Amino acid sequence: MFAMLVQRLAQAVVTMLIAVLAIFVAVRVLPANPVIAQFGQHAVPEKIEKEMEERGWNKPLWQQAIAFVGQMMQGNLGESFARPGERISTRLSQAVPATLELTFAAMLIAIPLGVVVGTVAALWRNTWPDWISMAFALLGVSIPVFFLAICLIVAFPAMPTGKRLPPGTLPDLYTEFYFFESLLRGKFQLAAASARHLVLPAIALSTIPLAVVSRVTRNSMLEVFDADYLRTARAKGASLMRVIARHAFPNASLSVLNIVGFQLGMLLSGAILTETVFNWPGLGRYVVDAIRDYDYSVVQACALVLAAIFVTLNLTLDVLFLIFDPRLREASRS
Amino acid sequence: MVTDTLIYGRGGDANALDPVHTDIGESVKVIVNIFEPLVAYDDETLDLVPGVAESWETSDDGREWTFKLRPNVKFHDGTPLNAEAVVFTFERILDPDHPHVHSNIIPYYSSYTQIEKIEAVDDLTVKFTLKQPQATFLANIAMFPSGIVSPTAVKKYGADFTRHPVGSGPFQFVHWKPKQEIVLDRFDDYWGEPAGVKRVIFLPSEESSIRVIQLKRAEIHIADNLPPSEVDGLEKTPGVVVQSTPGINIGYLTMQTQKPPLDKPEVRQAICYAIDRDRLIEVAYAGHAQRAKTMVPPTLWGHSDDVPGREVDQQKAKQLLEEASKKYGFSLPVKLELFVMDQPRPYMQQPRQTAIFIKDALEKVGFQVEIITNDIGQHFQRMTRGEHQLGLSGWSADIADPHNFLHTLLHSDNINEIGGNNLSQYKNEEVDKLLDAAQFELDKEKRTELYKQAQQLIFEDAPVLPLVHVPVRIAQRDFVEGYKLHPSSQVRLKTARIAEQ
Repeated sequence: MFAMLVQRLAQAVVTMLIAVLAIFVAVRVLPANPVIAQFGQHAVPEKIEKEMEERGWNKPLWQQAIAFVGQMMQGNLGESFARPGERISTRLSQAVPATLELTFAAMLIAIPLGVVVGTVAALWRNTWPDWISMAFALLGVSIPVFFLAICLIVAFPAMPTGKRLPPGTLPDLYTEFYFFESLLRGKFQLAAASARHLVLPAIALSTIPLAVVSRVTRNSMLEVFDADYLRTARAKGASLMRVIARHAFPNASLSVLNIVGFQLGMLLSGAILTETVFNWPGLGRYVVDAIRDYDYSVVQACALVLAAIFVTLNLTLDVLFLIFDPRLREASRS
Repeated sequence: MVTDTLIYGRGGDANALDPVHTDIGESVKVIVNIFEPLVAYDDETLDLVPGVAESWETSDDGREWTFKLRPNVKFHDGTPLNAEAVVFTFERILDPDHPHVHSNIIPYYSSYTQIEKIEAVDDLTVKFTLKQPQATFLANIAMFPSGIVSPTAVKKYGADFTRHPVGSGPFQFVHWKPKQEIVLDRFDDYWGEPAGVKRVIFLPSEESSIRVIQLKRAEIHIADNLPPSEVDGLEKTPGVVVQSTPGINIGYLTMQTQKPPLDKPEVRQAICYAIDRDRLIEVAYAGHAQRAKTMVPPTLWGHSDDVPGREVDQQKAKQLLEEASKKYGFSLPVKLELFVMDQPRPYMQQPRQTAIFIKDALEKVGFQVEIITNDIGQHFQRMTRGEHQLGLSGWSADIADPHNFLHTLLHSDNINEIGGNNLSQYKNEEVDKLLDAAQFELDKEKRTELYKQAQQLIFEDAPVLPLVHVPVRIAQRDFVEGYKLHPSSQVRLKTARIAEQ
């Protein structure tokens, strides 16, 4: 088991290296000059020359690559292009918590609800509970998040239209995990305020994972329901609930786990639409803004962070499978 | 509900609050409330009036400008605003190796390079010496990049000054959460009338439909940068008031005059005759724009109303083009590429619709137009390199001076691969001469005359087709009082108050 983990870890490091180098090259072959772009319609040739020089954008690609890797090795993500004087690590320390809290809230809705809906649909297969829940699941994956988000805002006039906290709040916290930290430190008023701001974006963001989880749960439950050992369990007199909880779900959970991992990756990197409508200062928007503003140092750094997130997620999933799947456990032991 | 906080809703966030490091409108909105230049715009007009400097005089040759500072002006951190601070502010812009500037991104650098020397004569007197007399000097000094900065704060915060701006304006900086809010508080030791509200919050919402909802719920008190149709809708909403001011800007069509067959004035004139700008305004601006006659907006002095202008006349356009094709020997239809940006600008609210409209109009008279869409950065970079034939462009005034339109956009000195804003690569020696003369002439009446002559010549040559001047419109709650859109479209919130309800 240990050997397998080491192997996976090595793979992960290689994956990250490739991802980062790909981004590094990609931003440099784009046609527009990122330095000129920072001057808008007021470009100053001599200043641009100097900036290119200092940033090393005039040097050959391989020299830039070495400098870049060296800088990353020191854990220095560097400074933004488009926002002079802004350290990328500072912005990430704001964007990552915002994204994590929102993703967590969305998953808190999507996973339990999705499992219950999927199980109900499987139990009453091809009858109306199944049809209704699967119709909703179809709606959930196909409704544009953008549209849904605006609908939610219009439908709940008492809820905040966006942001993480009410305007003018200066939270006295160490991190940007507004909800978690204020909860842990007993600042319940602040925790409540941040929870209120989480509700609508979390609902909007949860629809796709909710739909996907419920469909996968239904299908894998159905597969398990047809298995002989389940019929045996029912025949020996085990109650329906016991059969589901003890026999069917643990088996079905593997494919659910798989899809949850995949969806998590999607939410962590790509909640751009939800973030835009609700003014959520998350990672997705940080990257998209950076691409729009030719802020290539930020694009590179974010690519690194996103790659790290995906790699960590994959590793965690691997470990979880080892724990939950006896077949893998046996295989890795021998 | 009585509140003393004004919430200003807008479409984006600032990128830097250090006045020297930005040219982005969303940053400027905040900066002009924190920092003050030596000279300021009048509250209601474009006239320049005393700001931090209470008076000034010019030497006879126009090269020396001496400013007398207002006594007892303090920065938000308590540092006195004196001659030394003014010298420090300008040295930061001009000295390429200044120890207290941490980025090369100084977009307005060229506006100040005419300054040869700046010295503190005594504690409250500053003298500028120019390389040569410059008519726009005072206007440049009134621009936001030369807002006076507190030297103590600049030294204290270093590169972080752009997140901790300290000036002498009516509001002082409190905090900035990127993409969330920028909070400013009233500065109680302000030298003039203190601000009307205790706190201002700048709230970015990228989605304009969300800003509309927020305004209807009074979550924000002012919403700017809304699509014209949304503003029309809000005009009918109870409790909401719409304000409008003619913007000092121009949206225009550039024609690359170095590329055949656009190097022939007849072809360019044909293009001008082919486009019905009144219809364009209906189609792409929901009726809210003013048809442009010349490149200088009529709200600005120096605009020439004597230029005849060209009414739409497709027959004439066809005829001109056919004659030109015989005379110069090119075949019809003429194939042209039209460059378009992918995002709206204040002067070009719906670039795509505008481009399609122009394509249709031109194809009726013998052109064949291909629309090339680029993202905004690439769009302007490619056009400054002259890669286009036709292109959508525009300009918003930096200073209220015709020089900023005519010289910047049409003088041959401004043809440059990097940052040259004469996108049409228009070269007319006579026009250059007139614009140069107007730049160094200090008498406003004489300058007006020179600019009028230049506008006439430009009209005849038709290197550009001036399309529209676009008004600035905002929607606000009716309980916000005392805030009037400034003709410079600067967002000056000092006079805004929240009425009791």
